[in-house]
Amino acid sequence: MKRRTFLQAAAATPAAFAAEVRDPLPKYRIVTRYQPATPPGMPGIFPGTVARVHAEKAIDANTEKVDVATVREMMTRGMRALTGDADTRDSWARFFTPADVVGIKLNCSGAPGTASTPEVIAEIVRNLGIVGVKPEQIWLYERFQNQVDTMHYDRYLPAGVHIWTAEHDRGSIQSYDPNTYVEVTFFGEDDTRSNVSRPVSEQFTKIINVPNMKDHGAAGVTGCLKNIAYGSFSNVARSHSGPKSNTYSFIGTLATVEPVRSRTVLNVMDGLRGVWHGGPFSPNRKFRFYPKQMMFGTDPVAMDRLLLDVIDDKRKAENAISVWDRSMDNVKAGDGYDNNPSINRFIREPGHIEYASKLGLGVYDINKIQQRKIEL
Amino acid sequence: MLALLAAVALPALYWDQGPATAGTVKQAGIERLYVPAGEQAAWKTAGFDAQGFDAARFVKVPAPGVRYQMDVASATTVPWIDANGWRFQRKSGGSYYYDAPPGKAMLAAAEAYANGVEAMIHADAKDLPAFGRMLAFLRGIDGQTLPALANFGVIDNGSAQMGEVMNLVARRNLLFEVVRKADPKYDINVQIGPESPANPSQFAALIRQKLTDEKRLVRIFGSDVVLVRLNGDGTRVRVHLINYSGRKVEGLRVRLRGEYPTSALATFDANGALEDYSAADGATEFTVPSIDVYAAVDLRK
Repeated sequence: MKRRTFLQAAAATPAAFAAEVRDPLPKYRIVTRYQPATPPGMPGIFPGTVARVHAEKAIDANTEKVDVATVREMMTRGMRALTGDADTRDSWARFFTPADVVGIKLNCSGAPGTASTPEVIAEIVRNLGIVGVKPEQIWLYERFQNQVDTMHYDRYLPAGVHIWTAEHDRGSIQSYDPNTYVEVTFFGEDDTRSNVSRPVSEQFTKIINVPNMKDHGAAGVTGCLKNIAYGSFSNVARSHSGPKSNTYSFIGTLATVEPVRSRTVLNVMDGLRGVWHGGPFSPNRKFRFYPKQMMFGTDPVAMDRLLLDVIDDKRKAENAISVWDRSMDNVKAGDGYDNNPSINRFIREPGHIEYASKLGLGVYDINKIQQRKIEL
Repeated sequence: MLALLAAVALPALYWDQGPATAGTVKQAGIERLYVPAGEQAAWKTAGFDAQGFDAARFVKVPAPGVRYQMDVASATTVPWIDANGWRFQRKSGGSYYYDAPPGKAMLAAAEAYANGVEAMIHADAKDLPAFGRMLAFLRGIDGQTLPALANFGVIDNGSAQMGEVMNLVARRNLLFEVVRKADPKYDINVQIGPESPANPSQFAALIRQKLTDEKRLVRIFGSDVVLVRLNGDGTRVRVHLINYSGRKVEGLRVRLRGEYPTSALATFDANGALEDYSAADGATEFTVPSIDVYAAVDLRK
């Protein structure tokens, strides 16, 4: 990647935040022995297409009780809308065969408050079973054991499904592939490698990415791209320091690394719950909200482009500063950010989604994204 | 092969608990020790190779370890490492004394051994069995001395600022040799001049930048609490890996310049073989599955 100064285009960005003079992008070196599939999973076989299902009954905002039957119907309708198939089984069979070993990328950084909903994961596993993928060939995966432990996914899943985490002990790289990594220096750190999780490169034949709808203090929002990128690689938190975050270019770069890009064939954005400030964590219930929707697609950029509006619209409704706000006046170190939605911890980088589109990961232009909306 | 490489003085125990504890010391497998002046004869009678402690002969150094400064605002979350390697290099040929608090005697022994210095270690009584195991381990891997390897020379003006620069480059695993004048065998020789950054951390970063990561003899990935020393000649290298954290490090990735197809791993209080080994494209890489306090990796071309 060539170092350059990048002046972000104003296209889909609110005018007040349009012109951003950026530092030169970091110099990335991708090391991998894997070749891309044809077509690669991202943007996949439905570029620029998003099926979006809203169901008021999906979750009770007071009790947070999930309606399993509604989730099932949302997934059925969403997958059919995405693929155009009349039979749900055919929809899933477009992506998965009985021979596949399927990794399901959870999002547990906001656990237990807001994470990949167990009922949603269970429904994905059920559908994989219908197309012949045995429980033993299904692996839920995430980076941090302590986060996953709070979710108790095992209570919702058939026996045999694996739940795997890369870091039982935070910081250990033992469960990462030493031969597949991105090398980059952000702030002079000595460990300049971010390695992909071993099962992603050595075991899975397909990956389903299950992000939530969340605000993110560094990336602006965290959806498909951030979940598959920062959630599949080691040593990524080093990309933020002081007010600066390198999420702008690092997220997309990680997502392009083979075999992550080719094997991530389906994204199911779980928006039953969401976080409109303080993400990716969700300790404070007052910043939790309930979009009660799910999005389905193969194009992570298109899905995240829609997510941007979900989060920013909610922040506007709550009189919070926009995810596009780059004013240093609003960036403050310390604890204020946790309770004040008009404080930023870092200069947010929601432009990471558009940047990812420039890497070929999907369609960013809202006018070119085909939404297939369903209301239940 | 391990016993063939890098013989250095083995650290010794300083024990002031009196000859009545001879059984405990013997049980720890320790036969050579320093004792307070006046107790020497009694310890010899008990069957030990005992020498009297002459404080004037040793330079006291701080206990090694790591400090996680969670309550201190700083520009980095990287933990502070208290290490003495740079001190040893600053004054070559010195003899050193550690007054090791509980749990630190094994690390002190590993640090002294890896740096090839004579050291006497005052160990806590509870550490005696583990300290004895460490001495036995070091004895088992000890062998022929190979010269220390470095990437650049440091012309030391003896200042506190240069001391901190040496501390910080050692902490970043940038290997240096203290030289009297610029040594032509190194691409870079470093000294403090009028243009040098006043901040030692910036100075250390500048050295890394000038050297470039590609030219570094060794790099490690997966831990910021392990420091490296190298000894070697044209065909052999010993990699000393010292874990300052007090906790096991799981899965340390090591990269060395040069292709070394043959290897052997020895780890203190941990088992395992090197994993994901490759020697190609001018470099050797491997993963050490687990490091307690210290591991030595011997490589051959």
